[in-house]
Amino acid sequence: MWSFVKKHSSKAILVFVLLVLTFGIHLTYDKYRGTGLSRLPLSSARLEAAEPQPDSDTSVAAKNVSYRRTTPAAPFEEDNLQLYPTITKGMRTPFDLWKYYGRGVSSFGSPILPMRFEQWLDFHSKQKPGLMADVHAYMHDRFDFSGEAIPGTFMSAGKPIMRGPIARLASVKSFEELAALKPSEIRKRDLFPYKPLAHPLQSNAHMVFPQMWTKAHPEHERIDVDMDFPDTYLPEFPPALFLSTHKELGDVAGGREITLDNYYEIFDGLLTPEQMEGLKELLRPSPTTWFNHTDHRVTKSPSKGVACFDCHVNGHTNAAFELGPDSRPNMSRLRTDTPTMRGNYNLMQFSSKRSIRSMDHFSEVEEYFDGDPGMQQAIGPRAVKREVTNRMGDFNSIIDYPPAPKLNPLMRLIPDLATEQELRGEELFHGKAQCAKCHYGPAFVDDYMHDLQVERFYVCRPEGPIKTFPLRGIKDSPPYLHDGRCPTLHDTVEFFNLVLELKLTKGEKDDLVAYLLCL
Amino acid sequence: MPHENVYVYQSPTFLRLALGLVYFHFGVLKFYPDLSPAELIATQTVMNVSFHYLDAQTAQFALAILETVIGLGLILNVFPRITFILFLMHMIGTFLPLVLLPELTFKIAPLAPNIEGQYIFKNIVFVAAGWTVLLPQVFPQRLRDSASKASPNS
Repeated sequence: MWSFVKKHSSKAILVFVLLVLTFGIHLTYDKYRGTGLSRLPLSSARLEAAEPQPDSDTSVAAKNVSYRRTTPAAPFEEDNLQLYPTITKGMRTPFDLWKYYGRGVSSFGSPILPMRFEQWLDFHSKQKPGLMADVHAYMHDRFDFSGEAIPGTFMSAGKPIMRGPIARLASVKSFEELAALKPSEIRKRDLFPYKPLAHPLQSNAHMVFPQMWTKAHPEHERIDVDMDFPDTYLPEFPPALFLSTHKELGDVAGGREITLDNYYEIFDGLLTPEQMEGLKELLRPSPTTWFNHTDHRVTKSPSKGVACFDCHVNGHTNAAFELGPDSRPNMSRLRTDTPTMRGNYNLMQFSSKRSIRSMDHFSEVEEYFDGDPGMQQAIGPRAVKREVTNRMGDFNSIIDYPPAPKLNPLMRLIPDLATEQELRGEELFHGKAQCAKCHYGPAFVDDYMHDLQVERFYVCRPEGPIKTFPLRGIKDSPPYLHDGRCPTLHDTVEFFNLVLELKLTKGEKDDLVAYLLCL
Repeated sequence: MPHENVYVYQSPTFLRLALGLVYFHFGVLKFYPDLSPAELIATQTVMNVSFHYLDAQTAQFALAILETVIGLGLILNVFPRITFILFLMHMIGTFLPLVLLPELTFKIAPLAPNIEGQYIFKNIVFVAAGWTVLLPQVFPQRLRDSASKASPNS
């Protein structure tokens, strides 16, 4: 016995030292969590421990500064959400970012690349082909981009409208079978087909333009990432432009893209000088986080920047997407498509996530589209002055919706012009489908933000409230929802049928789509 | 013939323990997300090598297990052959960022590494150290044979 102890005593001491070391690291980690250096939020256990107990003599005021969580479907520990991966600018990020959580290293950005610019180019030239192959495989895994159009239906300038639903289902045969399940069952079996879309390269984030745009504007082709949607499922380019002040002219763009070179010729004599000045400003490129003259860019050559109308082409949208600028780290930001500017005169609230309250304010607050005014010092000034943003608002406020000849002044279908199916769809819209609870009035919008609580349907970090989008002219603005996860109107109807638990039949869903095409 | 000075005689043991301690310590750190300073390059390398089959968290966990096992093998001086094979695999892996992620490891390749590149380059000392302490245990017979051939009268 003694000889055994003697023989193994040195190893026992070593094991003891290792155990002490491991325990020390564990204690260190516990102290590290939640500090400014850590990307980890405090654990729920720590938060609850910090909560004053009701029977303690802590004052009421002190109770209010506790770290109480507003509980989602399940706290992040119970759902086994993963910590955002450690990455630096340019590195690939997971496509299923809804499964992750965590803090950023810092709220503040830097205009410094993690490598020399030549290396940056080389890095992306190597990474991009593999990344885009994976992006396309992922998108085709989620959606069936068959390119099938709805016969006889077109956008305002003539582009065919795609038929859906094209979201692929897992383990169930039909959307009707899926809709019959309870949300908890869909969540448990991981069946929800409309999970969020992430930016394909969320580490860089920023604007990604569709191919139809980059063909015409190669200066906006990115070295790191391309659009993940096929052009057929995006709005037409160039789109029509309707003016509320000159309805008699119809589409004033006439199939042209409005640019700094042609705007004067098209609009002189139609607009006020203030509106002209505002339009010019909407067409003038200015530096953005990744499109500028510095090395901190995603274009091969130095870039003049991006103009408002580069995404909101002709006052509409080309479906370029960005990330909502309202959160950090970048990986927690939600992908947001470019909303149309048509009918902005009727909106009281702008931007998918930020609840911006006026068109002028919107023009003022776009700090490189990434919520980081600190970048201005390094990348170049944007800083549009108040009188200029007012003029941008002046033009913005005369961009009209496309004509909807089947609607009367109260936005109801004119029975003589509408089909039976469209009329049934309207009845559903105002009745069983409950669309009109949020989509009402001249723009079919309530100007509120709503939390659809989609976390009831899949394990995720909750997305929070999103602005209601106006449905007037909606057929011209695919893909739908703030991040485009519903590529067609059929998908959108399926999404709401699930999320609001409407139990619509297949025929009713088709009726609803037929009605939406009239708006 | 062992050296008569015990400190000289035991120096390979010190080297083995030191090497094992570093492996174990840095390995355990990797079990805790966000605590290891090598997280970025290490996980990106494993993800690249696995063709993105492993996500960052799994990659880091796998690396944590590997380094901790090597550390335990070295410190406790057990399973030398397995430890040596794992050590070689790990060493090859540590040099991979120089090839796979040159943008993150060099100021100007191939002779001007940045701080991360230097961190990797210095692993050549680890290779020599691991070689020194593990190889005699992996091939003890052959070393004894060659020693006896060199001095047949001893």
